[in-house]
Amino acid sequence: MTLSLVDWLIVLFYLAVCLAAGLWMRRYVRGVEDFAVAGRAVHVNLGITSLAATELGLVTVMYTAQLGYEKGFAGAIIGVLMALGMFLVGKTGFVIEPLRNAGVMTIPELFEKRFSKKVRWLAGLFVALGGLLNMGIFLRLGGDFLVYATGMPPHYLEWVMTILLGLVLLYTAFGGMLSVLVTDYIQFLVVGTGLVVTSVLVITHIGWENLINGLNTAWTASGGQSAHPFNPFHASSFGAGYLIWQFIFQIACATTWQTQISRLLSAKDAKTGRQMYSRAAFYFVGRFALPGLWGAAAFVYFTQRGGLPANLNSLTAMPTFLSTLLPMGLLGLVVAAMIAAEMSTVSGYMLTWETVIYNDLVMPCLKKPLSPKGQMLLTRGLLLGIAVFLLFYGLWYQLPGNAWDYLAVTGNIYIASVFTLLISALYWPRATTTGAFAALILGAIGPLTFLVVNAVVDKSHQIAPEIAGVSSFGLAFAGMLIGSLLTPAKPIQK
Amino acid sequence: MKDPFVLFWAALIFASIAWYAFLVFYLGIKAGLEIRELTQTLEQRK
Repeated sequence: MTLSLVDWLIVLFYLAVCLAAGLWMRRYVRGVEDFAVAGRAVHVNLGITSLAATELGLVTVMYTAQLGYEKGFAGAIIGVLMALGMFLVGKTGFVIEPLRNAGVMTIPELFEKRFSKKVRWLAGLFVALGGLLNMGIFLRLGGDFLVYATGMPPHYLEWVMTILLGLVLLYTAFGGMLSVLVTDYIQFLVVGTGLVVTSVLVITHIGWENLINGLNTAWTASGGQSAHPFNPFHASSFGAGYLIWQFIFQIACATTWQTQISRLLSAKDAKTGRQMYSRAAFYFVGRFALPGLWGAAAFVYFTQRGGLPANLNSLTAMPTFLSTLLPMGLLGLVVAAMIAAEMSTVSGYMLTWETVIYNDLVMPCLKKPLSPKGQMLLTRGLLLGIAVFLLFYGLWYQLPGNAWDYLAVTGNIYIASVFTLLISALYWPRATTTGAFAALILGAIGPLTFLVVNAVVDKSHQIAPEIAGVSSFGLAFAGMLIGSLLTPAKPIQK
Repeated sequence: MKDPFVLFWAALIFASIAWYAFLVFYLGIKAGLEIRELTQTLEQRK
């Protein structure tokens, strides 16, 4: 084991504080609206901490470090595009302002008002399916970090994941969004401290000049075969085509990603929601740049020592590297920070997808409304079901490529179609229900084909993620356009 | 002359470290006060 007794005590203390705070908020939950959107009473700074903590998970640290390991600093360009997307959406209020003003709890709920109940249900299905598949790898990647950073035996991974998930489930099921907000706040502080301390230590340990020279030397030695470590537009790195797709994807993400939108919908008004977006934007640069720095440093560290050991890969190199440089006490703090990141993300995501399943899949099918007690029982039962799914899916699914591509493509199962529907619902009076159905179905075809084909064919025949991504946006918009123009529009209800 | 891409990434990385350090203190205080306000609002609704 790499962790000392002091490190373990820090981790256990953190877990106890988090659990106590989460359970304490249970007393304020009166009904489903408090549970799902915190009674719509969230102010801007708390909203930012929750948004930031939820969107910076241990899985984020792992895949951004993997990008840093494989593509150098250029890997962080995704964070720059994400920040740009968030800032533009926050400043203009594009989609998010009318969405918040609509007073809905989820995006599909808006579609019932604008299109039909069936559109709401189908959109809810895609949102939940894309979200759950996306979240499916969180536990595995988080567990990988813990195994390699703490030096615990790999067969403990499943048990550690199960216990962590159990803790998160406990406070999320009792306190809902209110517990998530308070635990996110604690987790934001711990994660922020961990990221700053670790980044300073990484730079001090490896040396800035050595890091730049090491990345340059490796790139030159590969004869341009490996990815350019600094220029993301270079053909060996992402390339311009991939980056254009990513920019569109990030704008769509900022307006449709239900975990972000749930913070917007919890905001006390649209102006607060817009401020959350624009003020939190730069946080998303660091979300990629800092773990990316650790990944790039791990690359240089192992390259200068004869290459990556056989038992490691681009995902596990970073935690192994960190375990060699962090001193006693600080390692405990960093592990606590990473557990914090995992917990805030898992709790926020579980609650979000549960709300969609409850609000858009189950409730529209019920003939008689449930009693308040029945509603709470159902929401908690759904949370338990999601936790069980995560445990089993996380254990057996093997990633076909890099983690970022998997996350982008699974998210895209609904992002392209729901983005199309949102824009049409809010800004195009001619949009019809037939167009909405066509957009939903066609938008999901690209990413689902990517997932199925890439799981069964060899690497040389796999579909590029940007092809799957761009085609889903193109198909969704074409479906909406053609479907709407071929059918008569009905008057919009005010 | 230094590669402009290297300068760009160096600026972003060091700015991110400084920004995160600032946010931990700034939002730590501001959001902490908002939690107190939120719980008071919810308490009054009960």
